[in-house]
Amino acid sequence: MSRGDSVPMVSQQLLLSVAEQLKLPLLQIARQAELASLHAQPNLGLIQSTADTALRLIDGYVLGVRLNLEQSQLDVEPVSVSSILYDTGQELDAIAKAYGVSLELNIAGRYGPVMAHKQGLQTALVSLGVALIEALPATEAPQLKLQLAAYRCRYGIVAGLYSETEQLSLDALRQGRRLQGKVRQPLAQHSHTSGAGIFVADALLAAMDLKLQLTRHHGLFGLGTVLEPNNQLQLV
Amino acid sequence: MNILLIEPDRLLAGTYRQALEGQGHKVIMCASAQSAIFAADTVTPDLIILELQLIDHSGIEFLYEFRSYPEWQNIPVVVQSTVPAREFDNSWDLLKNELGVAGYHYKPLTTLQTLLNSVNSFAPA
Repeated sequence: MSRGDSVPMVSQQLLLSVAEQLKLPLLQIARQAELASLHAQPNLGLIQSTADTALRLIDGYVLGVRLNLEQSQLDVEPVSVSSILYDTGQELDAIAKAYGVSLELNIAGRYGPVMAHKQGLQTALVSLGVALIEALPATEAPQLKLQLAAYRCRYGIVAGLYSETEQLSLDALRQGRRLQGKVRQPLAQHSHTSGAGIFVADALLAAMDLKLQLTRHHGLFGLGTVLEPNNQLQLV
Repeated sequence: MNILLIEPDRLLAGTYRQALEGQGHKVIMCASAQSAIFAADTVTPDLIILELQLIDHSGIEFLYEFRSYPEWQNIPVVVQSTVPAREFDNSWDLLKNELGVAGYHYKPLTTLQTLLNSVNSFAPA
């Protein structure tokens, strides 16, 4: 596939989107610190998880740039989808609690290993997860639940994040890619921010020749990616 | 005062609420324009603090809807937004005169103390 405008690129647009997004955690930290100086005890746990969110976004962006630069020699290895989802859940736990979002892990069944860039895949899922966690309360969804799940489809193993609220449409995602860095809310139906977490995940997945996709599973709406199982590794 | 706080980020909304309640105000929090209209219908606010970047309907759409009800014409609205002032250069008149925006703060550079001072200036003497 040629890397035209339908394929996410690590670009100045993405950098602008990340810069805009970083204002949110920095603002949260600044106002929390000020609140503590006014009349309350500082909520150090909240400050820490917010700062971690900002650091993860920067890390995700930097990794996206690196993977795009090193695309011809990606360091792929056999990866367990279950363990990636488990570790993603661990990383998202604190920020999910802060936003009042219940995070569930649903890895029914056994999945063989897939060949993937482990850090890239996990960073993409974490980046996506943070974006969805921040957006879910803003949509005033009745159920603030997010599920990390994997399931088999005919193309491979789908790993992603699911909620009861319909997330992006394919058109909205395409339009968002075109508008990122150019407008304040490229995903206006989904996020009140620049949506950088979604675009960073998009860029990371693209650098690994994977795609950010909309998926449905057990009546839930999801965003995730399809991973190809490696049949040779399963025989080992 | 009863303050209707329309802020999509849950963590920031919690921080603003704590600060405002510390000054003796009662705060109703809403994340979307639609729920804010319902909330205003339940408890008439004395003041509204509004972020313009919301999911689905924007803060500007909220203002048009809100000001279309005669009983809500005179409730002051303070915009506190991540949208910088330079982007309103051509629409200040509309915001102030037609939509009744009584104040504007650029959120990233507005301290809690500045917001509290602004809010308290609307309190009845």
